[in-house]
Amino acid sequence: MPPRQYLVVFAQTHEDFRVPELRSVAELYGFPLTIPHDFDKSRPFGVLALDQEEHARFLARRCILIKAVYEFYASGRSYEELHEQNRSSRNLWEKYIPETSFKFVVNGYNHSISKARQREVIEDFSYMGFMGKIDLVSPEITMGYFEEYRDRDIHGTTSQKHEGAAVFREAFFGRLLEQGSARSLIKMFDVKKRQYFGNTSMEAEISLLMANQTLASPGKLIYDPFIGTGSLAYTTAHFGAFVFGSDIDGRQMRGKETKPGILRAATQYGVRERILDLCTFDITRNPWRCGGLFDCDHHRSSVVPPIRLPHRNPARKRHHTGICDQLRHPFAREDQPYLPPTKPYELSALAADLVVLARYLLNPGGRLVFFLPTVIDEYKELDLDSMLCDGMEVVRELAAGFRCLITIRKSTSVAYPPPTFDPQVAHGGSGSSGIDHDGEDASPASPVHAHVPAHRDFREKYFQGFKPKKPSSEEFDT
Amino acid sequence: MVRLITHNLLACHAKGCTTNNYPLKFSNVKLALREADFNPDFLRGFLPRIEWDALVQASRERCSTTDLLKQLHHVLLETHIDEGSMTCPNCGHVYPISNGIPNMLLAEHEIG
Repeated sequence: MPPRQYLVVFAQTHEDFRVPELRSVAELYGFPLTIPHDFDKSRPFGVLALDQEEHARFLARRCILIKAVYEFYASGRSYEELHEQNRSSRNLWEKYIPETSFKFVVNGYNHSISKARQREVIEDFSYMGFMGKIDLVSPEITMGYFEEYRDRDIHGTTSQKHEGAAVFREAFFGRLLEQGSARSLIKMFDVKKRQYFGNTSMEAEISLLMANQTLASPGKLIYDPFIGTGSLAYTTAHFGAFVFGSDIDGRQMRGKETKPGILRAATQYGVRERILDLCTFDITRNPWRCGGLFDCDHHRSSVVPPIRLPHRNPARKRHHTGICDQLRHPFAREDQPYLPPTKPYELSALAADLVVLARYLLNPGGRLVFFLPTVIDEYKELDLDSMLCDGMEVVRELAAGFRCLITIRKSTSVAYPPPTFDPQVAHGGSGSSGIDHDGEDASPASPVHAHVPAHRDFREKYFQGFKPKKPSSEEFDT
Repeated sequence: MVRLITHNLLACHAKGCTTNNYPLKFSNVKLALREADFNPDFLRGFLPRIEWDALVQASRERCSTTDLLKQLHHVLLETHIDEGSMTCPNCGHVYPISNGIPNMLLAEHEIG
């Protein structure tokens, strides 16, 4: 069967995440997805060619950013163009002519179209000659018509009753295939309604988007070594994965009551059983018996763990002191009288160490997903090279705000030793640190060292308000 | 809470403790059995990672039903240790378990 075209209507947020999310979900369900060259991620409508209708349904059910998916019939920069194309797509809709009950929906993007004008638009489609009953409550098929405008002045307004045809950028027409059902999860995981949350909890939509990057699905085992208050555990577990969480600060996971807070919230979401266990330890001194633990799914040889760099609170980018000083909870528990002293941990060194750790802990094909706080204006793809090591490859990265969501895949099946987390090694170089972990890379490193990643010394930059650094000798002092 | 699947993965990591540091020994435990959804795919994926001797030692062959995966499911995922401690057989380091969360943190002098 030749590929059919589908019209995807996106939610009006997080436009940078649209394409990465489509790609991840396609990868999760194992179908090919080609993003057309002229696909404009800043626009709320996109037309994709997919091999099977089922694939479009998968996207609608799993993508957080999809409002609805339509079988695409026509688009045009004018009414004539649209109707002409729609006539030539007759073979797609003629089967609905005889007796299918239907309804038409007319939508303007960021602009309401008056009822009178809506009726005119619908009547323009009369040549389709649908014989079935008009049923506004439960029609067998829903036809959707969308106008997208270039003129930002009309955004947020309603067209006048007798205003005729609008000047639009492009109009789209198609048959509703499936409403996006994953979007409602944002409400379900609303942090404000959660039984347990903290000041580091991640907003629901972002945690769902991140869960999609991890390809969470039944039978997979995900590890969050910075689980905090569990924001990522709930969403990934909701998609069926088992989650193991650890954190250096047990108080974050527990909260005030006897039953640990993360488990209370997980019970609320019905995923209690998929939180395998929680553990208190420092990831740089971890008790894992062996590597290659986190993976699972044999069918889709991809997997795993959002190793998450806390993104909001720069103090947490320190190794540990930051946390303790900052969150001196009134409810420190008796069983944890000892709070380990902590050292500052320079961000680019931490990121590089995490990649090496992930290479150790992941099964082949497993994924590392994390937010990297960075200076977006200075951010370059080259920054990632400074943290990569042999056997790990970048799947995708996208910059959003002050951070960058990075997905890295373990592309090797070779077992590597655990990382040393040696601060001497990590801070030894004048530039990128991750390179130093692999002896063979260290020697020809001078050109690499010339590049200083934008996230290096992020903490200092953050507190200095991201002012451009004066060319001074201080870089060489460290 | 500490399920036996987790116990099967944790080794003592105190400074210099590199041999005979696994499995950790349970003591003063409060045991609980909680039903969990059976997921054969997950178990199959996990099989190669299991340390069998440690598992047998920890579970003392608790169950005797026929289906291997069902038994494994019961032992690994439905057996929880809510309170108690885990002790390293080599260095004797004690890792306490409180409300099902084991504390694997090391003190400064134990970090190697």
